[in-house]
Amino acid sequence: MGALMVIFSFQPKQRRKATDSVEDELELSAVRHRPEGLEQLEAQTRFSRKELQILYRGFKNECPSGVVNEETFKDIYAQFFPQGDASTYAHFLFNAFDTDHNGSVSFEDFVMGLSILLRGTIQEKLNWAFNLYDINKDGYITKEEMLDIMKAIYDMMGKCTYPVLREETPRQHVEVFFQKMDKNKDGVVTIDEFIDCCQNDENIMRSMHLFENVL
Amino acid sequence: MAPVRPSGGHRVDARGEHSHAHPSPDKKKVQEGLIILNVSGTKFQTWRTTLERYPDTLLGSTERDFFFHEETNEYFFDRDPDIFRHVLNFYRTGKLHYPRQECISAYDEELAFFGIIPEIIGDCCYEEYKDRRRENAERLQDDEEMDMSNDVTPVNLTYREFLWRAFENPHTSTLALVFYYVTGFFIAISVMANVVETVPCGTMPNRSKEMSCGDRYALAFFCLDTACVMIFTVEYLMRLVAAPSRYKFMKSVMSVIDVVAIMPYYIGLVMTDNDQVSGAFVTLRVFRVFRIFKFSRHSAGLRILGYTLKSCASELGFLLFSLTMAIIIFATVMFYAEKGSTASKFTSIPAAFWYTIVTMTTLGYGDMVPKTIVGKVFGSICSLSGVLVIALPVPVIVSNFSRIYHQSQRAEKRRAQRKSRVAKIRAAKIRGTNSYMRYKQNGLLIDSLEEASKKAGQALVGKAPSPPFESQHNHLLHCLEKTTNHEFVDEQTFQSNCMEISVMNKSGSHASSLSSSPHGLSSCCSRRHRKKSSFSLPSTNNQELSTIQIRERPVANSRSSLNAKLNETVPLKYDESYITPSMVSLSAPVVTSSDGHGSNTTTTTAYSQSNIVRVSAL
Repeated sequence: MGALMVIFSFQPKQRRKATDSVEDELELSAVRHRPEGLEQLEAQTRFSRKELQILYRGFKNECPSGVVNEETFKDIYAQFFPQGDASTYAHFLFNAFDTDHNGSVSFEDFVMGLSILLRGTIQEKLNWAFNLYDINKDGYITKEEMLDIMKAIYDMMGKCTYPVLREETPRQHVEVFFQKMDKNKDGVVTIDEFIDCCQNDENIMRSMHLFENVL
Repeated sequence: MAPVRPSGGHRVDARGEHSHAHPSPDKKKVQEGLIILNVSGTKFQTWRTTLERYPDTLLGSTERDFFFHEETNEYFFDRDPDIFRHVLNFYRTGKLHYPRQECISAYDEELAFFGIIPEIIGDCCYEEYKDRRRENAERLQDDEEMDMSNDVTPVNLTYREFLWRAFENPHTSTLALVFYYVTGFFIAISVMANVVETVPCGTMPNRSKEMSCGDRYALAFFCLDTACVMIFTVEYLMRLVAAPSRYKFMKSVMSVIDVVAIMPYYIGLVMTDNDQVSGAFVTLRVFRVFRIFKFSRHSAGLRILGYTLKSCASELGFLLFSLTMAIIIFATVMFYAEKGSTASKFTSIPAAFWYTIVTMTTLGYGDMVPKTIVGKVFGSICSLSGVLVIALPVPVIVSNFSRIYHQSQRAEKRRAQRKSRVAKIRAAKIRGTNSYMRYKQNGLLIDSLEEASKKAGQALVGKAPSPPFESQHNHLLHCLEKTTNHEFVDEQTFQSNCMEISVMNKSGSHASSLSSSPHGLSSCCSRRHRKKSSFSLPSTNNQELSTIQIRERPVANSRSSLNAKLNETVPLKYDESYITPSMVSLSAPVVTSSDGHGSNTTTTTAYSQSNIVRVSAL
């Protein structure tokens, strides 16, 4: 009868993978990353020693293991857009920061990205922006890539907007963008077209200087 | 790093000359090899070499330079000093201890911060650490699963998914609840019918033997059985249809129980009064009693019991094995001891098994008793050892059951507290968006941003005032609004807009992909200032798109007379700051005028006009 009871063990609704998850956690904790020395980072980026220290303290507080994986990145980014869903855009942003494509953003990656964005030349900044929009990093922005990015941006608005968001709004926006940027009408935007167009637009140029005083 | 020089001031060697220059006072400590670690105000001091024993941790490597504070010549860490004590002890003694009174996740975080892997925890504390960690992980997993299962109903559930959800969580809809109770009722009826069937019901006039109720009212019981089986069959088929993975469902225990419960009836229908098979058919009727196990869907306690037994399978196996061993031993002994006595019931060893089992479980029916003295002696030893063997694994099973039971109690309590938690999270989210609304209405957007960026430019170390962060956050949201040419509104306004739209029968519906973000907005504390500043910059790239749009949009839709007025006010400059307040006020008259029109097209135009207003004003 005891054996019979054992056989008729009912499926628990929860607690299926308790042991597995604990072991996963232990494995994760082994992934640690130590950044290069302060002097090296100082040489490679345009930040001073003090600034690097401040950046590192903030970084380490958020991610004690020294690397940011995509989930953490999405979580942090989502806090800035409480009304919408920022996960898709955060995904693109993560890939832009993760230059060696190993699935995690280390402090070096982070600081290099920041150095370009905050202290880089116009050319570098535009390059970085192009890299962000070019999802598969092949040097061309196609309409599909732009549409993906546009949808991600509109997702961040959430649904409580005025006027109410419609299905075709991102697509229309992409059409406009391509009309403006794609000079030779070949259906893709190359880096040169992109940089050309941006440099001719004084509003964009002005916005490049917006965050120079931060940090 | 400066090499360690010998301490002290002047060194006079044998020739009476000074051999080393006197080191400056503030470098003295460094050269002595003492490091000061200031952890949130509590100062720790240790030798440099102590820390460098473990070069792959934060304190032992160059990573600690990131935390060096030059003014005070010490390393400052903004962490918990109580836990740091243990971390530092690790460097000193080589053994990491886990303090029992600390929270396991706080401890884990500190270890992760200082780059120490938890496997180094010494044997004295390792068991405790692992147990606490496992408990915590299970609790968190329970929470997550509950969160996932009790989420706000997704809007686009297919009929099948809806059905499955109704089956698994009967409290989600009234219909499911009704179904749940009805099936429970029929299970009870069916079981009771099976029981009452066998009760003797008095004799019929033309028979002498007493009949059971089942035979007397055969038709009634048959109808009742049919009804119950029909309901069970329908339920089973519906579950099968609704299951997300049919194969997995069919393998599950509950589905096997369901099948076993209804099969005897169908087999009985198929088999007619065939004499050879009817014996087997009677056996099949026994399986009808397994309907009682269907109650496990209705009772969490039954499920817990079953789960406990499953998780204690090894203890039960041990119990069974040791009992078998003891039974065989004692049966053999008793058989040979009683062999000599006359008319002994111990005819063979297997016959003695029965005696041994009855004695070891202290039942003592008395149908078989030893008569010889030797037999009686061994019989008493048998009963004493039986008590011991059975009593040993039982506490393990009991403790397992208690742990699982308490967990389910906790889960129930958390389920009850869920509502207040969800309400709090929503309130926090609304607070976050409301602050931005207020900010917009004050019209202080760019002025304060300019001030703030200047302030931020001067603030470098440690001050991190929150106003720049807030203003940057608001600027970020503002950029997003400009890019997409839609405004953030709070929920009430949105609802009222929706109602207007539905009243006016507008065709456009909002994009379906947007679900409310599940993340609660935690406090925007200053330490996220750095992250924030980086992330706001990509939004300036969004501005590029919006400026592009400026040029193109006004060409697109130009229909109503409103357009003319608006085009005049279109200055295609980028000075958003000054136009923003006017933008807000411009959009208002557009909306109100659109309210006056009742027709479809004008409304559509009006809304697209307001889009244009927004764009061109920028």
